[in-house]
Amino acid sequence: MSILWSWIIAPLEYGFMQRGVLAAALVGILCAIIGCYVVLRSMAFLGDALAHAVLPGVAIAYLMGTNLTAGALVAAVVVALLIGVFSRQGVIKEDTAIGIVFAAALALGVALISSVRTYAVDLTHIMFGNVLGVSPADLWLIVGIGAAVLLTLLAFYRQFLVIAFDPVLAATQRLPVELLRMLLLLLIALTIVVSLQTVGVGLVAAMLVTPGATAYLLTRRLPAMMAVAALIGALSSIAGLYLSYYVNIASGAAVVLVATATFTVVFLVAPGRGILWRQG
Amino acid sequence: MTHFQQITNEPAHLEIERLTVAYGRRRVLDTISFRVEYGERVVLVGPNGAGKSTLFKALVGLVKPQSGTIRIHGLPPGAHRDCVAYVPQREEVDWRFPVTVADVVMMGRFGRLGWFRRPTRADRIAVERGMELMGIAHLAHRPIGELSGGQQQRVFLARALAQEPHILLLDEPFTGVDAATQEATLSVLDALRDQHVTIILSTHDLGLAAAHFERVLLINRRLIGDGPPARALRRELLTEAFGGQVLTLPDGLVLVDQCACDHPETESIAIT
Repeated sequence: MSILWSWIIAPLEYGFMQRGVLAAALVGILCAIIGCYVVLRSMAFLGDALAHAVLPGVAIAYLMGTNLTAGALVAAVVVALLIGVFSRQGVIKEDTAIGIVFAAALALGVALISSVRTYAVDLTHIMFGNVLGVSPADLWLIVGIGAAVLLTLLAFYRQFLVIAFDPVLAATQRLPVELLRMLLLLLIALTIVVSLQTVGVGLVAAMLVTPGATAYLLTRRLPAMMAVAALIGALSSIAGLYLSYYVNIASGAAVVLVATATFTVVFLVAPGRGILWRQG
Repeated sequence: MTHFQQITNEPAHLEIERLTVAYGRRRVLDTISFRVEYGERVVLVGPNGAGKSTLFKALVGLVKPQSGTIRIHGLPPGAHRDCVAYVPQREEVDWRFPVTVADVVMMGRFGRLGWFRRPTRADRIAVERGMELMGIAHLAHRPIGELSGGQQQRVFLARALAQEPHILLLDEPFTGVDAATQEATLSVLDALRDQHVTIILSTHDLGLAAAHFERVLLINRRLIGDGPPARALRRELLTEAFGGQVLTLPDGLVLVDQCACDHPETESIAIT
């Protein structure tokens, strides 16, 4: 017991590790809850696209010497709006619009970053996160934006539920469907921006989708699905961080691998829905 | 139409005048005009692709007409938040979504609740009553993914009832449902007639249309027939609406053969 305890407590002697664990857990919860909508509305590809679209914003902010988070946020919002505009008139399908905007933004981001001499280090951090480099200011930013996103989701719970389940009913009830869709995209964009530090551009889509998909297999109502997803998100983040500390692998990757392992187990054995259950 | 005008001096609840709807260049509805009076019960029939669903969507404001006007209580659609309830075809939603039957029926009340008001006792009673009328109260806490097709249809109807509408639009409520659900639906429609709820329903089943409705609208992009079944389902009008799908037998029977999306069994008979 005491060995296990010291195994858990030892890494926390370092301030950066304390902040890292806290940041990872908060981001895990936030991604998982909003990720339930991403899963239910089949927006996984969109989440990934938004994450990559953040890159040019970060690069431009770096080149201009301004706040990187602000740059990421502006880029995510611009891309969310662009995707909405391109696919809105039904001229091209939404996934095509996403594909175009996402690849273009990624190319622009890489082009800009490659013009900076020290790009190698920064690019890795942006792509795959650097959870052990979380500063106290970063932590406050995560708490602030995370609280704003969760409160908005709570306030508009009923509206988001209807547009996710039955957009036709939402429209007949005169809900501003387009506006709410944009609001949801904005909330996803905010979530992605605060996740960059922990899992990075390349892996944030997994944190949006995997805990939600796992919880979907275990629950039958949306509030329960969100609660279970949040728990899985937080625990995978913490477990992943310890894994990265002791096995010495990249932290973002470790977090995603733990979440994926959880999903795989649940996919196999979930009561009523798992593969093994169905065959048994 | 004359015999409907004697009913009442009330304003028409639904007035459609020269309604034209197009998707791109294709006209789906072409200069359609009709009135539906207070508490009337109308069935909409026509072949696949005749524009039945489009007409409903125009009535609730989901598609914009290219020209023409729609007036509900004398006002354009959208002026009323919940006086029109629309029961779409079942395929329109994802039935694996993690909500229960009661959750879905409660959504019928959201229009009344507005943005932030919490459901009250009155809302819960309306939800209960909707579920009881459709015989699904015992399924209230079931996830919708576990329901049969007929039960899903009843959930949609219960949701529309919970909305307590003045005008109820039902798009193909009898397609792919069991006999019990069809019976339950018809008896609820009878109960609603006593409450003067105006009903417009579309169906493939011409026999059912003729047996249960006093007025038939026969459409195929244009309005082809309008009146009591015996008048609107005459042979020449059916031939005009259904084209090659109509077969006239020597003894005067008219067969209309049509395949509803994935239910090729539909073969209705109208006698002239």
